[in-house]
Amino acid sequence: MRTPRMLNVTVKIYSFFRYFGVRLGTVIYMTIVFIGAVIFAAGVYINAFWLMILGRFIFGIGGESLQVVVNNYVVLWFKGKELNMVFGLQLSFSRFGSTVNFWVMEPIYRWISNYYAGYERLGVTLFIAAMTCFVSLLCGIILGWMDYRAEKILERHEATGNEEPFRLTDIRHFKSVFWLLSVICVAYYLAIFPFIALGKLFFERKFDFPPQEANNVNSMVYLLSAALSPFFGILIDKTGRNVMWVIISNVTTIGAHFVLAFTFLNPYIGVIALGISYSLLASGLWPLVALIVPESQLGTAYGICQAVQNMGLATVIILAGMIVDSYGYLMLEMFFLGCLFISLVAAVLIYIIDSANNGVLNMSPEMRDNVKIHTSSDNSAETANLLDNEEYTDQEEIDSRRPDDGDPDQSPAVPRNPAVAQSDRIRTRYLAQILPNTNIPYRQ
Amino acid sequence: MARGQDRKIVTQLNPGCVGCGTDKTLMYIRAEGPKDTMHLVWDFIYGPPLITLVIGETNSSLVVNWNGTSISDFFFNGTIKYSFFTSLYKLYEYNDTEDVGYMTPQSPYHYDSLEHLTWTRADAVLNDKEVMVRVDGHFRHKPGTVEVKLRYLPFTDYASDLPHLIHTANSTLVDVSLVNLTSSRRFNSSRFALNMVLLPTDIQQADELHFITRKSLDDEHTPGVFEIIEIKTPQSFAGEEGGYLQFRPVAYTDPKREVSSSTNVHMSPFNNTGSNAARVLRPLAVNKDIFGAQTFVSFGMPGDGFYTKHNYTAWSFTAGYGTPPVEGFSLFVIIIISIGLGVPVLLALSGIIYVIDKRYKQRNMPQRLTDNE
Repeated sequence: MRTPRMLNVTVKIYSFFRYFGVRLGTVIYMTIVFIGAVIFAAGVYINAFWLMILGRFIFGIGGESLQVVVNNYVVLWFKGKELNMVFGLQLSFSRFGSTVNFWVMEPIYRWISNYYAGYERLGVTLFIAAMTCFVSLLCGIILGWMDYRAEKILERHEATGNEEPFRLTDIRHFKSVFWLLSVICVAYYLAIFPFIALGKLFFERKFDFPPQEANNVNSMVYLLSAALSPFFGILIDKTGRNVMWVIISNVTTIGAHFVLAFTFLNPYIGVIALGISYSLLASGLWPLVALIVPESQLGTAYGICQAVQNMGLATVIILAGMIVDSYGYLMLEMFFLGCLFISLVAAVLIYIIDSANNGVLNMSPEMRDNVKIHTSSDNSAETANLLDNEEYTDQEEIDSRRPDDGDPDQSPAVPRNPAVAQSDRIRTRYLAQILPNTNIPYRQ
Repeated sequence: MARGQDRKIVTQLNPGCVGCGTDKTLMYIRAEGPKDTMHLVWDFIYGPPLITLVIGETNSSLVVNWNGTSISDFFFNGTIKYSFFTSLYKLYEYNDTEDVGYMTPQSPYHYDSLEHLTWTRADAVLNDKEVMVRVDGHFRHKPGTVEVKLRYLPFTDYASDLPHLIHTANSTLVDVSLVNLTSSRRFNSSRFALNMVLLPTDIQQADELHFITRKSLDDEHTPGVFEIIEIKTPQSFAGEEGGYLQFRPVAYTDPKREVSSSTNVHMSPFNNTGSNAARVLRPLAVNKDIFGAQTFVSFGMPGDGFYTKHNYTAWSFTAGYGTPPVEGFSLFVIIIISIGLGVPVLLALSGIIYVIDKRYKQRNMPQRLTDNE
């Protein structure tokens, strides 16, 4: 079902999008998502697998593009003001939406059984679910109208999409630490999202939970992520030492999976630990990319992280299903643990490499400030200010924003170039567009 | 794997019978161990399928005398220490009107006694590593087959087919398949249940049997099934030499056993069989006052479309002697955990040492340089 996500080499979408503009883009992509959802539901209703696949394919195209457009909206409206907070809220809400989805779909499915049976029952449930897309579409239209008014009143000119997106050649300049980060991006998340995808049955079978209860446990990770992300963001803002936090969350995630795999303790324990660790990791990990990659290449860097991650998830979700069917849940947990071990090794390696290079990644904010005083040039400080609020896109994993993000940019590892300043502004623009929020794919 | 010393086996199919064809199946396995000899008799001749497990002294043996192609006499030579009989006694069909997936006292039912089926041997393997026989039971007046496959492997391992139960040198692996059975026209929610009778020498009441549901962390061999059910006689329960049944509560609705074709197994509590026991036991007058306990094993789960949806149900269990085998983590799991835990710890340690070393040098180096200047 998830293969359409492979399309999500997000970059392509961007170029597509600029022809439409934000308002029209939102409505068009929302419509595509809605059509995709309806086709999928229809495929289920008449039990035609190919139609279901087609529906998911269309849904995937629309969904990924929609994220790009919506992010652009956010940048357009909140640039230079509350951007980080708005992204945070957006993430929290979509996580909460996932949680609500876990809660309501099961009762709806059961209620439908009063009227329909078999494929039709599931199909009708999915039609109802597709209605949420329709509501979204209405929101998109209202938003478009509001934006149109705002543009008139503020005499704002749309300045989207004249920049050159994604330069693949940037890849050559990335440091080894970046590739280790990419490894974590893939390996760590493999132990989270596929687990959630297969979690419901796991809780039913291993812990004898009734379906609704199993759903509740399963939704805990999203719920915790929605609730905790802002706080962990603040925590890491205050303490710095991102690499240490990443290592700690890797270790606690391993602990959580151990509890789930090797004990019959109440799964809430393991899952809550998993949710907390996941939120912590997301808060610590994604800002790291900004610390090691030159700003002019950040868009490419985040794009690569995003793409490898989606690619990994798309293939592993299938693999995970096969592992469960052939070797059982214990082996699946072993697979997740294996991924986490790889992720942990990568994190430890980052720590070692970083320590060998002054350890800027693992400094507290004060220490980073010191480094900044010693090394930064005038214009880079200016750049930092410029970027403070625009650094991040709403990649779902960037659960928190760091006001001190500017600091790392001054790190000695990043060569400063006055000419970069100009492109920075441009870069932050398309950065926001290039990185879709990946909520939609995982929300199942 | 622990449990179950390997035994040296001698196998005979219809021992002593000259003119026996595929319609006569009596498999005799004499498995000699260091302390005792186990006699396994799989009998499809006298009555319903019966698995006899007799533990005797090392030099004990079974004697079968034939009268043409039927058995005239049947006894053990030597002292018998323990015996445990497992019989597939009757096949019940019940109407699961509430669609609960198992047989309740309220379910309308009728049954066929399995002793009235015609048992034809379809396959047999006899060598010193494996003994296997498959016998198909055909109804006299309607289509449908009850296939019973019995295997004895004189070593401890996981069975090759799902649910990969553990067999030992002290147990028989039993597969029962209900194939294309004709369901009653009166029942529109037809399901089948096996009526099994256990006759251990160490019980006087059915409730003396211990019904134990164990949970295992490891579902490697039976994906998605964490439960193991064991029926132990008082002696087996006490860790001594008694009989047991062991199975996973999973059955399959397709000959190609897969997770997707699995369904639930429900075993009712045991109750006394009364005079039935003597009937079942008729061929083996080992111990006249032996006591029988019966149970009903039903298959299916709510909303699965009942038996007719697939017209096939297969279930496996092991019937053995001693303490039931316990599954352990496979080598693969242990290796992953050791590597997974070992490598990061090693790396972290070496990293810490490296960093401390480097910092120490950094702290000292500039001083020395300035000193030199």
